[in-house]
Amino acid sequence: MNIKKLMRRAEEYLSSDERKRKEKRRYLKQVVRKLRQHEKALKQTLEECSDRDQCRQLKREIVLAHSQRKKGVTQLKALKKKK
Amino acid sequence: MIRKLVLPSIFIFLAYGFWISSDFKEIAAGVAIFLFGMLALEEGFKAFTGGLLEKILQRTTDKLWKSLSFGVISTTVMQSSSLVSVITISFLSAGLISLAAGVGIIFGANLGTTTGAWLVAGLGLKVKISTYAMPMLVFGIILVFQKSKELKGIGYVLAGLGFLFLGIHHMKEGFEAFKDTIDLTAYAVDGYTGVFLFTLIGLAATVVMQSSHATLVLIITALSAQQITYENALALAIGANVGTTITAVIGSLSANIQGKRLAGAHLIFNAITGLIAIVFIYQLTHLVDTTSAFLGIDDDNYTLKLAVFHTIFNAIGVIVMLPFISQLVDFLQQYLKAEAASGPSKPRYLNKAASELPDTAIAAVRQETLHLYDNAAKIIAGGLSLHLKDIHSEMPLDEIIHRSRKVLPTDIDRLYQDSVKGLYADIVDYISLAQGEMSPEQTEELFLLRAAGRDIVEAIKDTKHLQKNLSTYINADNPYIQHEYDNLRKRLASVLRTLHEVRNHGHNSAIILSLDSLKIDMKEHDQSLNNSLNTLIRNKQLNPAMSVSLMNDSSYAYDVTRNLVQMGEVLFSRAELQLKEAERSLSLDDDEVNAMVEQHKDKPL
Repeated sequence: MNIKKLMRRAEEYLSSDERKRKEKRRYLKQVVRKLRQHEKALKQTLEECSDRDQCRQLKREIVLAHSQRKKGVTQLKALKKKK
Repeated sequence: MIRKLVLPSIFIFLAYGFWISSDFKEIAAGVAIFLFGMLALEEGFKAFTGGLLEKILQRTTDKLWKSLSFGVISTTVMQSSSLVSVITISFLSAGLISLAAGVGIIFGANLGTTTGAWLVAGLGLKVKISTYAMPMLVFGIILVFQKSKELKGIGYVLAGLGFLFLGIHHMKEGFEAFKDTIDLTAYAVDGYTGVFLFTLIGLAATVVMQSSHATLVLIITALSAQQITYENALALAIGANVGTTITAVIGSLSANIQGKRLAGAHLIFNAITGLIAIVFIYQLTHLVDTTSAFLGIDDDNYTLKLAVFHTIFNAIGVIVMLPFISQLVDFLQQYLKAEAASGPSKPRYLNKAASELPDTAIAAVRQETLHLYDNAAKIIAGGLSLHLKDIHSEMPLDEIIHRSRKVLPTDIDRLYQDSVKGLYADIVDYISLAQGEMSPEQTEELFLLRAAGRDIVEAIKDTKHLQKNLSTYINADNPYIQHEYDNLRKRLASVLRTLHEVRNHGHNSAIILSLDSLKIDMKEHDQSLNNSLNTLIRNKQLNPAMSVSLMNDSSYAYDVTRNLVQMGEVLFSRAELQLKEAERSLSLDDDEVNAMVEQHKDKPL
């Protein structure tokens, strides 16, 4: 690693804004990953579901998880652009 | 009276000592610098407790061996069993760990503290450690002046170590010079009288300095300068071990009953270990000789042999006490009972010990707000003429509503005064006092927890408005209004049931976020009710007064739901602060909820 790169890394680490942005991205990614897993699990349950009311509820939850995930992805993109 | 005389007496004794001997002055200054180093070290480690310690503690205290190892490692790293015990008491007081786990940590801390003796006896006396102290102090102090919390923490740790080393150096120099003028070994006492006498001296010295580590370093340096006999040094070490519990006892005075129990466990463990060591002192000395010979320690290297003794007698204590840990916990729970006054409205977790660290203060506020919610949930269920235990059961909600036709006499005003208002006031008060040295994220979390408490209070007030008509209409002759109010009850019961289920999955962000579906449900219901109301009025199935009541109460029910969901998203999530912030940023706001409801209307599921 050359000196310039090392200096940039050190500067990045010491800059609290940059660190906060990275941290925010990392945690947001975690939540988005959880939402994706949740959505997948809900879809699987829906496939095996026979009760009409329960299916309706499951569909609603899938739509909700999907829109929350979409919101997360948009936020992640915005955070990436700030770089 | 005696208390008032202690401090002036110590001052007079020290001043007299300084006047007659400059060597004594150097030793005392060494102890003072050493203790100052301990304070700096504690300050430094506190800077790193922001979330990290909590995470480690939660993962490492589910099994006894894990909590024991945590005690050993944390005390070895921090070089202060007192700091570990104070932190453990604050974690226990905040309800973050169990009493058994706390006892395990304390046992481990007793083993971990023995590494200090090894470090000083093995390294501190052989190497000229003051050479390392100077650069550490310089770098440490420069870092202390930095803005960054982490750099400041590293600075305090470095400066703390520098002061520790400098203190040891001065103690060593002092004793070296001291032996040319006075021979303290002339005051050595043989036999059991000596053992008891020096145990008491060790105990008193540790109580005054509030650090067994400082006493032990003093013993080792005095021993290396041959100012005390080896036998008397052993007794002093036993005394120091018992005396160290005083810090935990003082720390527990402001803690809740759990904290007091832990301090009790610490006292019992160290007293029994000390007793065993006194009774079997000669057998232990023999064992130390054998072990030292096995480890290749010279027969006359008394300082290292003292370290061996310190380790062996603490290890024996752990081995003897470990099988009785559950009995010890039972004993403490039986004899140290919670005060009778701790009724439903008295705070259970808000105490001074928990406010020692930002993490534990936040955890205490969270636990207390959960307690507030538990009280509130009973009131809300009562306001709906339902029993909370039925709602939390697996019985279908339709069946519960069908069975619960009798109006439950629930005086919401009185219950609110008794079990909510005072508790919420205590939480608000505690938050305002706890906000001292917190990061902006931690302050934000406390603010949100306070807002969650307010949401709970609002939900109760809305339930109160709803209760009046609900009590009238659940047994009304008009089947239509009865049906609509049963629907409202069912929806609110479903909110309470979902909240109860989500509460147990606080570690899963997706489950916490799924609470938003309750807001959508309630909004949809509110809208469909508005549509069906027209039909009901047109068909003369409801009179105008009934429909106005129903419209108002549906709006109250929506507010109850919104407040409870808001509260649940903050309160039930057990994630770390940054993750919680990410969760909250994905939760749907009112506009997004409305948009989703519209979307469902256009495209029914």
